[in-house]
Amino acid sequence: MFSRRTILGTIAATALLTGPTAVFAEGEYVALVSKGFQHQFWQAVQSGAEQAAEELGVTITFEGPDNETMVDKQIDMLAAALANKPAAIGFAALDSQAAIPLLRDADAAGIPIIAFDSGVDSDIPLATAATNNMAAAALAAEKMAEFIGGKGKVAVVAHDQTSRTGIERRDGFLEKIAADYPDIEVVTVQYGAGDQLKSTELTKAILTANPDLSGIFGTNEGSAIGVVNGVTEMGTEGVVIIGYDSGKAQKDAIRSGLMAGAITQNPVGIGYETVKAAIMAARGETIDSEIDTGFYYYDAETIDNPEIAAVLYD
Amino acid sequence: MTASVDAKKEGGFLAGLIKSGAHQKLLAFASLIMLLIGFSLGSPNFMQMSNMIAILQATSVIGVLAIGVTLIIITGGIDLSIGTMMTFCAVICGVFLTYWGLPLPVGVVAGIGAGAFCGFCSGTFVAKMKIPPFIATLGMMLILKGLSLVISGTRPIYFNDTPGFDKISRGSLIGEVIPGLPIPNGVLILFLVAIGVAYVLSRTVLGRYTYALGSNEEAVRLSGVNADRWKIAIYTFAGAICGIAGVLIASRLNSAQPALGLGYELEAIAAVVIGGTSLAGGRGTILGTLIGALIMSVLTNGLRVMSVAQEWQTVATGAIIILAVYADMSRKK
Amino acid sequence: MDKIVEMIGVDKGFPGVQALKDARLELYKGEVHALMGENGAGKSTLMKVLSGIYKKDAGEILIRGKPEEPVGPREAQALGIGIIHQELSLMMDLSAAQNIFIGREPRLSFGRIDDAEMNRKAATLFSSMHLDLDPQTVVGDLTIAKQQMIEISKALSFNSEVLIMDEPTAALNDAEIADLFNIINKLKANGVGIVYISHKMDELKRIADRVTVMRDGQYVGTVDAKETPVDQIIAMMVGRKVQHDPLVVPEISDVPVALEVRGLNRGKEIRDVSFKLHRGEVLGFAGLMGAGRTEVARAIFGADPLDAGEVFVGGEKRHITSPHDAVKAGIGYLSEDRKRYGLAITMDVAANTAMPNLENFTSQLGVLNESEIDTATQEMVDKLNIRTPSIHQEVRLLSGGNQQKIVVGKWLLRDCDIFIFDEPTRGIDVGAKAEIYRLIEDLTARGKAVIMISSELPEVMRLSHRILVMCEGRVTGILPGGEGTTQEDIMTLATQRDTNQQNAGYIQ
Repeated sequence: MFSRRTILGTIAATALLTGPTAVFAEGEYVALVSKGFQHQFWQAVQSGAEQAAEELGVTITFEGPDNETMVDKQIDMLAAALANKPAAIGFAALDSQAAIPLLRDADAAGIPIIAFDSGVDSDIPLATAATNNMAAAALAAEKMAEFIGGKGKVAVVAHDQTSRTGIERRDGFLEKIAADYPDIEVVTVQYGAGDQLKSTELTKAILTANPDLSGIFGTNEGSAIGVVNGVTEMGTEGVVIIGYDSGKAQKDAIRSGLMAGAITQNPVGIGYETVKAAIMAARGETIDSEIDTGFYYYDAETIDNPEIAAVLYD
Repeated sequence: MTASVDAKKEGGFLAGLIKSGAHQKLLAFASLIMLLIGFSLGSPNFMQMSNMIAILQATSVIGVLAIGVTLIIITGGIDLSIGTMMTFCAVICGVFLTYWGLPLPVGVVAGIGAGAFCGFCSGTFVAKMKIPPFIATLGMMLILKGLSLVISGTRPIYFNDTPGFDKISRGSLIGEVIPGLPIPNGVLILFLVAIGVAYVLSRTVLGRYTYALGSNEEAVRLSGVNADRWKIAIYTFAGAICGIAGVLIASRLNSAQPALGLGYELEAIAAVVIGGTSLAGGRGTILGTLIGALIMSVLTNGLRVMSVAQEWQTVATGAIIILAVYADMSRKK
Repeated sequence: MDKIVEMIGVDKGFPGVQALKDARLELYKGEVHALMGENGAGKSTLMKVLSGIYKKDAGEILIRGKPEEPVGPREAQALGIGIIHQELSLMMDLSAAQNIFIGREPRLSFGRIDDAEMNRKAATLFSSMHLDLDPQTVVGDLTIAKQQMIEISKALSFNSEVLIMDEPTAALNDAEIADLFNIINKLKANGVGIVYISHKMDELKRIADRVTVMRDGQYVGTVDAKETPVDQIIAMMVGRKVQHDPLVVPEISDVPVALEVRGLNRGKEIRDVSFKLHRGEVLGFAGLMGAGRTEVARAIFGADPLDAGEVFVGGEKRHITSPHDAVKAGIGYLSEDRKRYGLAITMDVAANTAMPNLENFTSQLGVLNESEIDTATQEMVDKLNIRTPSIHQEVRLLSGGNQQKIVVGKWLLRDCDIFIFDEPTRGIDVGAKAEIYRLIEDLTARGKAVIMISSELPEVMRLSHRILVMCEGRVTGILPGGEGTTQEDIMTLATQRDTNQQNAGYIQ
């Protein structure tokens, strides 16, 4: 039958044609399984990883699920990565527990694992290359308090209520406020899934409910941009916005003064340090178990400083 | 072209199960084999036991979900809520086992029961309240997503205090009997569910009415059959199967992840469609769905093992869905 | 006269079936040529070959003396061949004019549609057909008859010289049929050649010039329509003589009442309908289209709701709100539209036959006993002489007559006491008709009660022990069956409109 042959041919062709585009592991090869791949942040991590790979003369692959709820998809990715017998694996766990059986397999096969972005609750990873989210969010709280004079109402637009970064950034902020600024009241914490549009709507609702709000903290790029949009759409003035991460829209907002400032992690550094540590581990060298990849606070004045500009992404 | 028909002619049930698919599913099955061969040639790491098991493991949850939604699609309906329903069942399972500390079997039954209850609700909306299935289950999808977050307090529920829970999916009974073949229990459960549902579809009243409702609901009604009641029964049954998927994923992750689930319904529906089940209702087989689900996961895994860039993996998956359905349509002409 | 179409030695095979073998047809300009044959004789296939839907395997098609091979409906239209299918192919949500000019809408600049021009052209078409219709009416709101007129207008809008009509009167009432025949006569006068497929013998006599008979995909013969006796045409169709015995009306006044309905009412459709049906009796329901016969039947069966009314089965009052209740009370309903309401056409004969009866074929766990279903189905297939290659054949592949027998079979298997047949012979051929009639007679002989709704008066008169006539939702009279009652008697009652209503009509 004509159609049958056509489809079989096409499937075979798809399978074979994609071959040449594939990056084959020759020599040392590191597989990175991240929490995502579409987001600018992860793209920056990937570019850092590629930079390290180039310097060290190794190859990498970089993969992540479509969104940060897909725990089982990430595990399937890890399983596929293991099949390729990499020299080492970099892994940013969406849920540490779920991945443990596979991490054990990797361990048994003698493949070293480096955790990145956030830690893995297990002693299998040799090292963790991550931002200290609690400390970074606490810095955001400090800056917020500075801007609003240590008193008033603030709100948090967080990106997720289940992921570790979501929880840590929220709690880092809340705990700092509770501990050091008794006159600041956090009126609400809302979750916008890191989606700009959802976060915009949330912000507008918060502003409607609290017309006397002094400041809002957006816990990741999408949330922060959503907050800026929400405030702009409502035409509210005098609300201090502190963001997180970078990206073109957020950088523009800081330059134009809409946003007071933002915390930036060092995504390029995370990717770079992960690959570097992975290769060192694979080569049997000793590495630090905690690799702090650092964070910075930046605003309109410091945004173009070389050490800041280097870690920001568009 | 009901499974029962061909099955009958050939005698034995299993022979029927295979035979009924044989003619119709040859194409899908051949595509699966082609994919396996293609990837084996593409990467030396693809065709190894551990990777084959990884593929099966990756199919287990989506496969069970797809089997459940196959029933609904054969009736001419659609169920968009299966992804979040699965999550909801996992969360209920977590509430019973972790929050209340009840014994493992109770938790498993509660998870499956929660699915059956959700299916019962969807079925009632569709059959009694005459809400179109697309809308009714869209509503259920959101309700269950929200309830999962509410009940779990938006945090994952871990099953660390229930020893053996993770063995439901991760353990390997087969591996204990046949050393060297560590096929996970999740995969075993997938195949048991497939055989069970195929039996129900071909050999029971419920199955017969599933096809009949999809073929001509009005004729069923005018035959004096209580069509609404049967429809609710089918949705309930499909819900219970989602419940099994919920227990499976909770066991596999050793946790109930309340935010997970959205998007799984489309993946399951894609598997069903690749397997030759008509979205118009009246036709479809479990074997087809199983092959459809395997094609999806072989494709995903194979492209990964070949280190194809992730963006292109997505493009390839979409293309395969369209090709598979096109091939199925051409065959029917 | 000019020969406009000539088909010679046409063969067409499908996997497993030789649908046409040496089929022939000749059509002159300005002729109405009836194409007759039992279902499955190949009439529709032959016409699909002519209109380019199927490709012939062998043979020759001459259009105006030139060999042609239409390869699709579009090419056929270009050759001046239009076809009006039995099942209308209109877009119900579009207007009449939009349907007629679909795909060739008059255009303005920038691809805008010239609606005014389109509506004007449609109006011209309608007036040429003496059809009083607003081109902007949404087709779904029209009666079947009007929809059919739109199909005809559409075919004519292509300036067709050959028009194929496949059972055009199947859904029309007498007045509408008269309108249709007027149009056909006009087309004839304009030199259009018409191929007319129908099972109704009286229509042939009224409209056809010649008749070509087919049987089993083969050409049997062509005869003059006016001069050839009906019996001879039927004999050509079935290959044997079909005879029927005169109706014997049994004495039923002493027989217990199987079904009684009192004061059924629903809006304007059903108005105060009451009647009794005895065991062993055939009660015919006569009336024009829209008289409310089907509505009454569906209401008794619980398929549609009622505003008021009582139903007694075997003297006992039953509360019937769904078909499920009706079946439990022993009532079976064979709907007028088999494919829509009667059969799951993608399922097989056994599955359909067992549909209302599955509970009798299952274990307590709901597992089907397939072998019992098969045995029972096979018995039914033998008993009703259902022609199917196997009880596992999908019913959509069977002819209309055999499909109808399967619907009968499923209720027989259910062992109902009361059967409601709604247009049981619509779209089925002469041979199968006779078998359905015999079946109804067998049922009553076994003490079953039968309500038979039919728009064909000869059929009603042939079978009914009593004839209930309806008009505008009311029962206008119940006539005795047999020789004593004439078609005129029935028509008088069937047109006995409510006087108030009539006056109201004048005021409007």
